[in-house]
Amino acid sequence: MVIDEKNVRLTQTVKGAGCAAKLPPGDLDRALCGLDLPVDDNLIVGLERADDAGVYRVSDDIALVQTLDFFPPMVDDPYSFGRIAAANALSDVYAMGGTPKTAMNIVAFPAKTLDISVLRAVVDGGLFTLRQAGVVLVGGHTVEDDELKYGLSVTGFIHPERILTKKSLKVGDKLLLTKRLGTGIVCTAIKAGRAGEAVTRQVIESMMTLNREAALAMADYTVCACTDITGFGFLGHLAEMVVDSGVGLRINSAAVPVYPEALEWAKMGLIPAGAHNNRTFRGEFVTFAPGVPQVIQDILFDPQTSGGLLIVVSAAEAAALQNDLAARGVAEAAIVGEVVAEPQEKIMVDVN
Amino acid sequence: MKELNCRGLTCPAPVLQVRELLDKGTPSVVSVIVDNKAAVENVRRFLEYKGFQVQVEKFGVDFRLVGTAVEGACEIMPDLKPEENSGVKKILVMVGTNRLGHGDDDLGKALLLNFIKTLKEMGNDLWRLVFVNSGVSLTVEGSEAVPVLRQLTGDGVHVMVCGACLEHFKLIDKKQVGETTNMLDIVTSMQLADSVINI
Repeated sequence: MVIDEKNVRLTQTVKGAGCAAKLPPGDLDRALCGLDLPVDDNLIVGLERADDAGVYRVSDDIALVQTLDFFPPMVDDPYSFGRIAAANALSDVYAMGGTPKTAMNIVAFPAKTLDISVLRAVVDGGLFTLRQAGVVLVGGHTVEDDELKYGLSVTGFIHPERILTKKSLKVGDKLLLTKRLGTGIVCTAIKAGRAGEAVTRQVIESMMTLNREAALAMADYTVCACTDITGFGFLGHLAEMVVDSGVGLRINSAAVPVYPEALEWAKMGLIPAGAHNNRTFRGEFVTFAPGVPQVIQDILFDPQTSGGLLIVVSAAEAAALQNDLAARGVAEAAIVGEVVAEPQEKIMVDVN
Repeated sequence: MKELNCRGLTCPAPVLQVRELLDKGTPSVVSVIVDNKAAVENVRRFLEYKGFQVQVEKFGVDFRLVGTAVEGACEIMPDLKPEENSGVKKILVMVGTNRLGHGDDDLGKALLLNFIKTLKEMGNDLWRLVFVNSGVSLTVEGSEAVPVLRQLTGDGVHVMVCGACLEHFKLIDKKQVGETTNMLDIVTSMQLADSVINI
C-alpha cells in the first residue's frame, strides 16, 4: 500500500532516526584510517581534522565552506522533517563561522511504499528553511531506496583568517551551549509512541530552528572555537575539541539545559543506540564526578539532531554574549563549563 | 519465569517488547535475550525502573538479562502515561498598540490596561502574549501593566516582546518583563497557536 503525505507516520517507516542513525564513530574511524587522501595546499580544513565542515581557500579573502548531512526521519510529519534536515545541514557552516550560500538536495525515496506527495512535502520543508537562511537550491539527486532519507550538501563563504575550528581553546574560556539537549531521547519516545504533543512540538520547533541567529551573535565577540552538537552527542563533540588541545574541559552538569521529559524517558531506557555508541567510543575522555545522575550522563551522550552551537568565548565576554543571544531569541543559551589546564585532554563533568 | 527473545531488534523495540510483556502481568523473574549492547543498557534501565534487580550475562554471541522483582517495588513505580491532549487551547494574543479601540486616547490606554488585567480569565488557554510596535511600552519601566504581566509569566504564560520595536523606541534597557524576541519566533508562534487574537 502506498501511504500519502496526510496519513504517513514517517518514524514508523525507518529503523534509525535522525542523527542517531549515524554509523558508530569507531567503525567510521576504522574504515577511513590510513586511506590515501589527495593533497592541496589550499585545503585549510580537511578530513584529518574531523571538523564540522571542510574549508578550501579560493583567494586571500575568500574560502569555500562545504558540508553534507542527511538522515532518515526522526519526526512523523514530512514537512517538519524537511525543515529539520535543512537546519541540520546548514548548521555546520554556521559552526565554522561561515555564511551558507548554495545547497543541493540529497534524497533516497521508497516510491513503492510512500506516495510522491510525501517527497514533495519534505523538499518543500527544506526549501522553507533555505529561504529563512537566504540560501539558494542549485540542484539535487534522488535515488530509490527502501527507506526515506533526506539532507543537503551546503556550500558557504568564509574569510580564510576567520575560521572557527574546534581547536585553539584557551584556559579560562567559557563554554556556551545554545540549545537544550535530549532530542535523541525525545525522538526515541516519539517513535515509541510515548511522547506527548507538547514536548513533541517543542522539540520539533527547536530542531527546525536555524543556528543562524547564534552565529550572527557570536561574530561580534572574541570567540576562538565553535562546533555544533549533533550525532556524537554533547560529550562526543567536546571530546573532539580536547583531543590534541593540551587543555581540558570542566562541565557544570546542572547548568546544561535539557528537556525534563528526556530524563524520565532515559530512566525507562528509551535511549537511542547512538547514545550508548557515543559513550563506548568517547567515554575514556570523560570523568563523571560522583553524584552526577546516570540519566544526566545518558543525556550528555545523547545524539542530537540539529542541535545547538557550542561556543568557546573569552570569560570576560561570556555573559554579554549570553545576553545578546537572549535578545536575538536564543533564550535557552547557557554557560555550561570552561576550559581548564587540568586534567589535560580530558573532560571533567561535575555535579554543579 | 517469563522469557523474551529480542534478538535482531534495535532500540527502542526491545524495551517496548518488555513493556508489553510486563503489561500482561508482573512476573517475579523475567529473562530477556538481546544481541546488542545498546539494547542491554536500555532493557536494564527499563527493568530497574520497573523495580527489578537485573543481572546481565553473556549468552553465546548474545546477552541475557535476568530481572528479579524486588518485593513490593513494582507497584510503587507509577507508569508514565503519554500526555493526553487535555483540551487546552493555545491562544496567542498579539498586542500591536498602546491603547484599545479608537476615539479617546486616554480611555484607550485605560481600556488596554484593563484588558491585560482581565486576560487571566482565559486560564490555561492563554499561551503567549506578543508585544509589537507601541505595544512594547506596556512592558517597560513605569507601565502599570508590568506587575500584571509578571503575574501572567509566573502562571506560565510566555510573554514575548519585539526586540526591533524596543530598539526603535530606545526602550531596550527599560524592559521589565518578558522575553525579547524576533519576527521568526513571532511568526512561528502564530503558526503553532490554535487561535490568534489581534488587538
